[in-house]
Amino acid sequence: MAKAEKFSVVGQRVQRVDGFDKVTGESKYIADIILPGMLLGKILRSPYPHARILRIDTSKAEHLRGVRAVVTAEDTLKRPWGAFFADQYILSVGKARYVGEEVAAVAAVDLDVAEEALALIDVEWEPLPAVFDAEEAMKAGAPLVHDDKKRNIAVTLDIERGNIQRAFAESDIIVEDTFQSAPQWHCSIETIGSVAEYASSGKYTIYMNSQTLFNARYRIAAALGVPETDIRIIQSAVGGGFGGKSCDDNNALVAAILARKAGKPVKVINSREEEFLAGCRPRVFMKIDVKLGFKKDGRIRAKHIRIIADNGAYSAKAPAITGVAAMRHDTCYKYSDVKTQAYLVYTNKIPTGAFRGFGNPSAEWAVEQAIDIGAHELGIDPMEIARINAAESGYVSPHGNRVTSCELKQCLDMTEKMMDWKKKRADKKPNTGLGLACTVHVSGKRHFGDYDGSSATIKINEDGKALILSGEGEIGQGVHTAMCQIAAEELGVRVEDVEISKADTDLTTFCLGAFASRLTYISGNAVKNAASNVKQQLFQQASEMLEANADDLISHGGRIFVKGAEGKFVTVADAARARLFRHNGAPIVGSGSFDADSVLPDKTRFGNESGAYNYGVQAAQVEVDRETGQVKVLQYVIASDCGTVIYPIGAEGQVEGGFAQGIGYALIEGLQFDEGRPVNPNFSDYRIPSMRDLPPLTHAFADSYEPTGPFGAKGLGELNMDPTAAVISNAIFDAVGVRIKTLPITPEKVLKALTEKG
Amino acid sequence: MKKKIQLTLNGKKTILEAPAHRLLLDLLRDEIGLTGTKEGCGTGDCGACTVFLNGKPVNSCLILSGELDGAELVTIEGLKIGPELHPIQKAFIQDGGAQCGYCTPGMLMMAKALLDENPNPTEEEIRFALSGNLCRCTGYAKIIQAVQDAAKEIRQAARR
Repeated sequence: MAKAEKFSVVGQRVQRVDGFDKVTGESKYIADIILPGMLLGKILRSPYPHARILRIDTSKAEHLRGVRAVVTAEDTLKRPWGAFFADQYILSVGKARYVGEEVAAVAAVDLDVAEEALALIDVEWEPLPAVFDAEEAMKAGAPLVHDDKKRNIAVTLDIERGNIQRAFAESDIIVEDTFQSAPQWHCSIETIGSVAEYASSGKYTIYMNSQTLFNARYRIAAALGVPETDIRIIQSAVGGGFGGKSCDDNNALVAAILARKAGKPVKVINSREEEFLAGCRPRVFMKIDVKLGFKKDGRIRAKHIRIIADNGAYSAKAPAITGVAAMRHDTCYKYSDVKTQAYLVYTNKIPTGAFRGFGNPSAEWAVEQAIDIGAHELGIDPMEIARINAAESGYVSPHGNRVTSCELKQCLDMTEKMMDWKKKRADKKPNTGLGLACTVHVSGKRHFGDYDGSSATIKINEDGKALILSGEGEIGQGVHTAMCQIAAEELGVRVEDVEISKADTDLTTFCLGAFASRLTYISGNAVKNAASNVKQQLFQQASEMLEANADDLISHGGRIFVKGAEGKFVTVADAARARLFRHNGAPIVGSGSFDADSVLPDKTRFGNESGAYNYGVQAAQVEVDRETGQVKVLQYVIASDCGTVIYPIGAEGQVEGGFAQGIGYALIEGLQFDEGRPVNPNFSDYRIPSMRDLPPLTHAFADSYEPTGPFGAKGLGELNMDPTAAVISNAIFDAVGVRIKTLPITPEKVLKALTEKG
Repeated sequence: MKKKIQLTLNGKKTILEAPAHRLLLDLLRDEIGLTGTKEGCGTGDCGACTVFLNGKPVNSCLILSGELDGAELVTIEGLKIGPELHPIQKAFIQDGGAQCGYCTPGMLMMAKALLDENPNPTEEEIRFALSGNLCRCTGYAKIIQAVQDAAKEIRQAARR
């Protein structure tokens, strides 16, 4: 149920708090950090997809002038680490399992020397049989990527809710098809990098452009075998994340061991090619069989999905992503009977992992097309099918997801209107068509231990300005601005009077970081609670000064006064100074935390995974050129339900940017592998959308209020690219009657399908 | 072998020594300490390292120091007009043209190059001129808006 509230800061078109530094070039990204005596590190990578290391001789490299350290697995504990499964090493132990795997590394006085030294490291390799396709890898007799993983299977899911056999028997029509999703690279314009420093007392200080600092600290501590307190991570400005900078790679660990061995700070920055080969973990690619049973009236009666997901050589976040692809979409529509089977399979390729959408774009690519096929077979408008099945507030999914607010139907209405859907459907022109898809995402996900929370501290400076201390990561999405707005709204001060610190694991309290579209909702709640705590302290002090009851006070624009008597006030600065500058005084400082009302899913993966669910609808009108197979997107519309919009410019930017990545995923982006070796690891051959590639977009936010969110807000960041590929494919089918089932949708594929259709 | 290079950098005469093979991008960042110019790809594909060389925008990752003697360079650090932000910088802040901000210095330099030549560009002309500058965050909508707003502001200021 939407609820209109008047806010003075929340929802205002404020400018981002870090905007000035960004437009002047003064923001310090990881490559801009320079420490006294700093060395530069480079990594030697495996040229083979699967090979045993018989011998490594580093002596020539060590003797090169200007080299300060050379490291191999011998300089590590040879202890595997990983987000969910400990299966990867800092540097190859015994063998390498994909092209690009870190084998050895060098720290030198400059990059020329470091690169020369890499060429002097002599590795004797014994190439081994390798496997590149997940389905092949599951077959008996396939080469094993890890000796202890039978048939290369990392995860198996087999879950049935309700009675799937009966549900299909009761269906009037059944749709069955197979869809192949594609890998996608994050392509943040800034690559992953770190600057590590080691003090001989045992403390590592690591500057990282990570989006999840405390998770990084936990994993780095585990891999190095030291307590977490011995690792301090300081976040640099981050040049884009999208899931790729969530510390599933070895960059910072290599920098740390080089710094320890050299006794000097060491910077390691991935080149663009390294970023493609072994940096960010690309989107998990999946082969998805979908079977849907519909009633004649359009209700979905049964859903069976079977997924084979490519894990690559190590696990990163793919175990959780596979579960999301298998189950998350069942929170979008009202399902009763579902069956899901999924296999996550090791191959000798780059480990796959977290990328905006986290399994949803793959699942929605398949399921939203299957629903569209059903709509066409039933002769029902896809908009109506979506409406008939759409989830609503109060819905509980078959897997236990509890929906506290849902404006999916409102989003459908908005989309219909913005696209002028009915009129366009009625006046259909040759070779043009309309496509639609719905999406759901979480606002945080409980999967790193039994916690999906955040904490924050706010202190009031003696000039009355508030400083938020938070370890949550600003990675460009603008969450710091939203957090400042939330604090300002709660404190009753101007947003210009709130600042926020950089994330630093030694100075800020525990935070899980930027993933699962969680920050506005979860860290927003933590900040709001911290501000509420601070406000109580301010009001306590002000009540003495105003000789009034603290319960009768309100604050606005930095002034505290009795409600209705605005003329007599004390400022926040007055109260803060009065509290501090006296005998037995105290600074005004308060903390707050928030842990979402979700549960860690049980062994059958049942349980409410998130505190709130965000919804969206997207539609496209496309025109297909029958001569060339070119798809032109004539118009695109998006309606999003993210609860209250806290920071409108930022929220719009999330929709527009997510959409651009969705268009890239749908139509452009693809990395070609040859025997596990990426053949186009650069921006000339792996193209991401430029300004000229993007069609016109119209978008709007639903009138929505999430009761558990800060001022009614919930998540938004990933929603916007989840369904885009399916939308485009559905529109192509509507235009020319061919259905493309593998990504990306290239003109070649469209032309081939048109030729085959005749 | 280091070579002596005389430059005008952001309006100031500068003399320095660098190997002829040193890339302009590395010269700026590592030898001169101007880190506002960013490396995104190192192959001239993304535009993050765009600077002005003799009045024209170039990818500084593709220019060798050996070509620079006598050159006039302007980097993001030289975009401000005195202590004031350039209108294109102001518009990027106002409209949300920067998210992560990493492509922003290059994008701003290219946008300035466009507006220097064409003070009233159409959306199509903006899309064409800036298509070599990749941004992964914004979807470009707010960048286009910012360039249009800056153009308007510059035209109005010229009339004042």
